Amino acid sequence: MNLLKSEARKVRYDETIESPLEKIEALLKSDYLLSKRAIGLLLLQGDTEIQNLVKEREGENYKPIEEVAKEIQSRYRYPLNYVITKSRYEEADKITARVLTLPLEFKISFSERLSRIMMNPITGIPILFIILYFGLYQFVGVFGAQVLVNFFENVIFGEYINPFINNIVAKYIPYILIQGLFAGDYGIITLGVRYAVALILPIVSTFFIAFSIMEDTGYFPRLAMLIDRLFKSIGLSGRAVIPMVLGFGCDTMATMVTRVLETKREKVIATLLLALAIPCSAQLGVILAILSSNPKAFWIWAVVVILIFLAVGYLTSKIMPGEKPSFYMEIPPLRMPILSNVLTKTYTRVEWYFMEVFPLFILASILIWMGQITGLFNLIVKSLEPLVNSIGLPDKAALVFLFGFFRRDYGAAGLYDLQQTGILSGVQLAVSAVTLTLFVPCIAQFSMMVKERGIKTAIGIALFIFPFAFLIGFMLNIILTTIAVLT
Amino acid sequence: MEMPFLKKLTNIFNRNASCHAGSNVTIQGLKKLAIVGSPNVGKSAMFNNLTGAYVAVSNYPGTTVEVSRGKTRIEKEEFEVIDTPGMYSLFPITEEERVARSILLKEKPEVVLHIIDAKNLERMLPLTLQLIEAGLPVILDLNIMDEAERAGIKIDVKRLEEELGVPVVATISTTGEGIDTLKKRVGEFVKVRSKKGQI
Repeated sequence: MNLLKSEARKVRYDETIESPLEKIEALLKSDYLLSKRAIGLLLLQGDTEIQNLVKEREGENYKPIEEVAKEIQSRYRYPLNYVITKSRYEEADKITARVLTLPLEFKISFSERLSRIMMNPITGIPILFIILYFGLYQFVGVFGAQVLVNFFENVIFGEYINPFINNIVAKYIPYILIQGLFAGDYGIITLGVRYAVALILPIVSTFFIAFSIMEDTGYFPRLAMLIDRLFKSIGLSGRAVIPMVLGFGCDTMATMVTRVLETKREKVIATLLLALAIPCSAQLGVILAILSSNPKAFWIWAVVVILIFLAVGYLTSKIMPGEKPSFYMEIPPLRMPILSNVLTKTYTRVEWYFMEVFPLFILASILIWMGQITGLFNLIVKSLEPLVNSIGLPDKAALVFLFGFFRRDYGAAGLYDLQQTGILSGVQLAVSAVTLTLFVPCIAQFSMMVKERGIKTAIGIALFIFPFAFLIGFMLNIILTTIAVLT
Repeated sequence: MEMPFLKKLTNIFNRNASCHAGSNVTIQGLKKLAIVGSPNVGKSAMFNNLTGAYVAVSNYPGTTVEVSRGKTRIEKEEFEVIDTPGMYSLFPITEEERVARSILLKEKPEVVLHIIDAKNLERMLPLTLQLIEAGLPVILDLNIMDEAERAGIKIDVKRLEEELGVPVVATISTTGEGIDTLKKRVGEFVKVRSKKGQI
């Protein structure tokens, strides 16, 4: 087969563009990897990156080039980008007409119809709630965080692993000090491994399965369209839906994905909201599991967190100057997800997550163990007690908040343990769930914030969030205690 | 088993939290094949297919925010494959487009594989024309052929090849259909170009 029989296609532009373009091509002396014609066209369109490149390479020679470009730009009413793009599209249309045969009639397919009702607010919002209910609440909250967690917690660890480890350790390690490192309340296996394997793993796995399915069907761009208007009022565009939804999986991952947003302002608002009001999957799963026994507390938690998300977003977008984001997004077709892709994706995400938390959880157990020996641990917990007391929580909750500093999910796991002991009242459950959700981004998320937004912005956000979370907890406690809905 | 784990423990506080499960090996001296195209046309799926590595593939635009690199074997020769973020035009508007363009500007790929969604030929050809205009070694890949066929769209691949003057192939990157032909064409293309002294 003769590969390059015909000449490569060349687009002809208006004569008024072609002759100055030739002039620029002749003036360019350096080699740019892209053809001189392409460089010339980019110069005509006012591409600053290319302007700088050419300025650097051509030196003195740049002046006449710039003059030619300026002269031609002044002759058109529209930006040259528009004129040039238009010619290219016309050329593309001509070619397409010669090679493409369209079907005789366009049927509106089922998936097209489904796509439309997903984006129409009247039908789209109920669909969103159905997806949230089955995908998040039933699958992650009930199946993952209750059924699976119960099984791992109470059966695997509770009946087999923990007694076994405690036994072995008691038998073979004669030193109580060392025993505490592996077994007992805060041991590496009885706490660290148990939190990672029995609590976090099932929740995160179920979340990422649900997420990957929604992702591959193409639901997210439709969701972006659906809530673009709502997001505009908090200074974000529909585009921010993807980092926000991803935040429910892992806020660290999501903070990185805020790169897809256009303006700096939008990126800062999204980073703040992720750090403040989007619980990660582990947190969400545990909170759903804990609050499912108390529907009123669940609704209070949900409403308060959503209101704070909207209010903080709205205020920030008022305070931070800048353009309103524009929104334009390709809507891919709805597709049937391919099982193997969903599974590989879930697997790589869970693997990444697990490899990240597992050593950290073990490290935490070791730190706690050392802290206990030196007495430092109790000192810190004691000093946090007045703080948690001030939002109406018992002394023991101090421990949960200390965990939460370390990792969002670790704190949530701590709350799970605390609730299992049955000492929290309805008000205390709601208050601690809200405060823990808002409270600090974990270490990994914070370091990602520093990397993406710079140290100043990251510290600024953390300094705002910490007192704010406790202030909300404080007020919520007073309100709930006064109106007594939960007693 | 022991060592990597301990290493991981000590590295926790030193490293930057990152979660991109992509492969990021730097490969030196190999010929380069850059995958370009607008968002959500199957670039990452093609990358996975060619390299056997894994980067996340999704049904929403803008998943690839970082450049992934891997290796593939075409006609007994190893190539470095570069997966780029989506771009609509060589005149960049977003950060991702700038990243994608800078690869074309700086890395001098031997093959630029422009992947398009076959269903939207006329909307995607302008970038092909632009890449050709820029003198880049373009091969056009009509991807997602299955959906186009299901929609009753027929494309005369041979004719399109003549019109454009560059090789055109049809593929389905999620299932791997057409990949062998694609590889063959890439091999021929590189051979012809190096004979002509264009590489």
